[in-house]
Amino acid sequence: MATEQRQQPGWNPVSRLLDWMENLSEESYAYLLLTPAFAVLTAIALWPLWRTFRISLLEDTLFGPAQTGGFVGLENYVTVLTNQNPLLSRPLIDLTGATPFFRQALLVTIAFAVISVLFETLIGFGQAYIMAKEYRGRRWVRVAIILPWAIPIVIQGMLFFLLFNPSVGFLSDPLQAIGLFEANPLTNSMNSFVIITVADIWKTSAFMALLILAGMQSVDKSLYDVAEVAGASPWQRFRHITLPLIFPALMVAMLFRTIDAMRIYGIIEASGVGCGTVPSLSCLVVDTMFGVTQAYAAAATVAFLTAIIIALVIVGYLVALKLSPRGSYQ
Amino acid sequence: MSRQQADAADTPRGPFTSWVDSAIENPKKVYRAMFFVVVIFFLFTTLFPIYWLLMIALSDSNRVSEGVGLLPVGFDPSSFVEIFQQIPLHLYLFNSFVFAALTTVFVLVVASLAGYAFGRLEFRGKRTLLLTVLIISFFPPASFFIPLFQLFSQQIAFLGLTPPELYSTPPGVVIPLSAIFMPLAIFILTTFYSQIPDGLEDAARIEGTTRLGALFRVIVPLSAPGVATAGILTFIAVYNEFFFSFLLTGTAAQDWAPIVDGIISYQSQFQVRYDLMAAASIVAVVPVAILVVVAQEKIVSGLTSGALKE
Repeated sequence: MATEQRQQPGWNPVSRLLDWMENLSEESYAYLLLTPAFAVLTAIALWPLWRTFRISLLEDTLFGPAQTGGFVGLENYVTVLTNQNPLLSRPLIDLTGATPFFRQALLVTIAFAVISVLFETLIGFGQAYIMAKEYRGRRWVRVAIILPWAIPIVIQGMLFFLLFNPSVGFLSDPLQAIGLFEANPLTNSMNSFVIITVADIWKTSAFMALLILAGMQSVDKSLYDVAEVAGASPWQRFRHITLPLIFPALMVAMLFRTIDAMRIYGIIEASGVGCGTVPSLSCLVVDTMFGVTQAYAAAATVAFLTAIIIALVIVGYLVALKLSPRGSYQ
Repeated sequence: MSRQQADAADTPRGPFTSWVDSAIENPKKVYRAMFFVVVIFFLFTTLFPIYWLLMIALSDSNRVSEGVGLLPVGFDPSSFVEIFQQIPLHLYLFNSFVFAALTTVFVLVVASLAGYAFGRLEFRGKRTLLLTVLIISFFPPASFFIPLFQLFSQQIAFLGLTPPELYSTPPGVVIPLSAIFMPLAIFILTTFYSQIPDGLEDAARIEGTTRLGALFRVIVPLSAPGVATAGILTFIAVYNEFFFSFLLTGTAAQDWAPIVDGIISYQSQFQVRYDLMAAASIVAVVPVAILVVVAQEKIVSGLTSGALKE
């Protein structure tokens, strides 16, 4: 306070501001400190989300300078969900034969999320196990396991583009020889889907492993000693101690990964596969927006539906967490 | 043990057979061996692709299409020079660094204010606001993208005024990425700031420090590991981001295009120069690889504490 008085409050605007802040109640001060963060979040997340919803209620105009026309209510949602919207970009190659496009993108996104999160959980357990044990050189093993997680998506894409490239890569030929892959897997929808999934598992298993590791380390070690004395096998110890105790952490980790997997876009573009071959929901939004038609309303509809689907997934996980035997958690 | 040694002396045996003998006597050894097999398996799957990328980069550019295995085809490290001559890769890298550094500084300042409020102050609606931050971090970038693109390319006017064109400028990338990665920083900093004893802050306040001064001169320095963790994670996340970096910038390095566009232009422009693609990728990986080696503990603790808090 002494310094305040020497600076003659009332004249210097900075000290006036500081003085004003000194006199705020704790609650007002808290709201003041939160203002910048919420201003950014409102401008970049809440307002765009609201506006996306509003655009999705408008009509697409194909001619003229404006992208969107009059208010049509939920009509876009009806046409998109019943696969009758002609403005959604169509892929060059159809993944599932006659399945129309929105359902196809939805199928790709959900299949990708389920398969990749399943394998990432299994591999994550393995990686967490070897990161948890004490041995010489563990630090470097941890570095090696985390490294793929820290690799930029564009380079992950380039890596898998090269690995499965028919001329330079070494994975295409043997997989083709045993009849699993086509001659150029990066142009085949089914093969590309497998490649994208493997690429994602390679990169993000480490994230799952770290969260599982944190869960494992919070388990009381003496429980294992008791179990060992009681003659429990390693599998029984895992099944009856580790798994139930880390279940909440595992659920949170899987929730994070599922949400992230459902946003998939970058690896599809960067691996040279392209949204036409493996269409995800995010792909559909971008392609519809920048395609020939520039159908903003149709794109906004898909974007908002993506948000709704992800919200449903979150609710699903929270219900699973609440219904779990250790539902008392939190 | 002595019997086994005697056996080994009787008949000449290889190291493998004697290991098997001792393993039969002591099954723990088998678990140990299996454990290290698993370790080597994971080291191989995570590191081999990166090693192989380096081998392509070192291959002779004329022969690289023959296919590269464990060793480079021919040997020609000049691709590491050529990548900077064909396109201004250093400019793309510089742009990415600028984006990552600006976002990190901005996120740390704004998230520090929010983290202090969430971690150390009592106010109504705290849980609701914290939950709002968490929920915002769950939404897909695609659901924000259309209005942001319209806003940054001057397709929207507020009260008759069009905001400046932010498409392909540093603020046009830094502001969206700040919002996307701020929630994680807020959670990490909230945890760290809440752990500083009240007495230290009170002492500074009695000495005459202002409220903001107490935050930035006492709380932030005392939480240096937490701030470093949040900073490193934000930096890596921005450097690695694809969606906004790719869609909110042009493709030329002069137009603030980040490394995403630099790498992709090798894929689209130089169809068979696989050695250049690999070399450019290796160069772009080096900064994050160094960060991972140096700050491994911080990354582990930050990801786990930030993600498991809620």
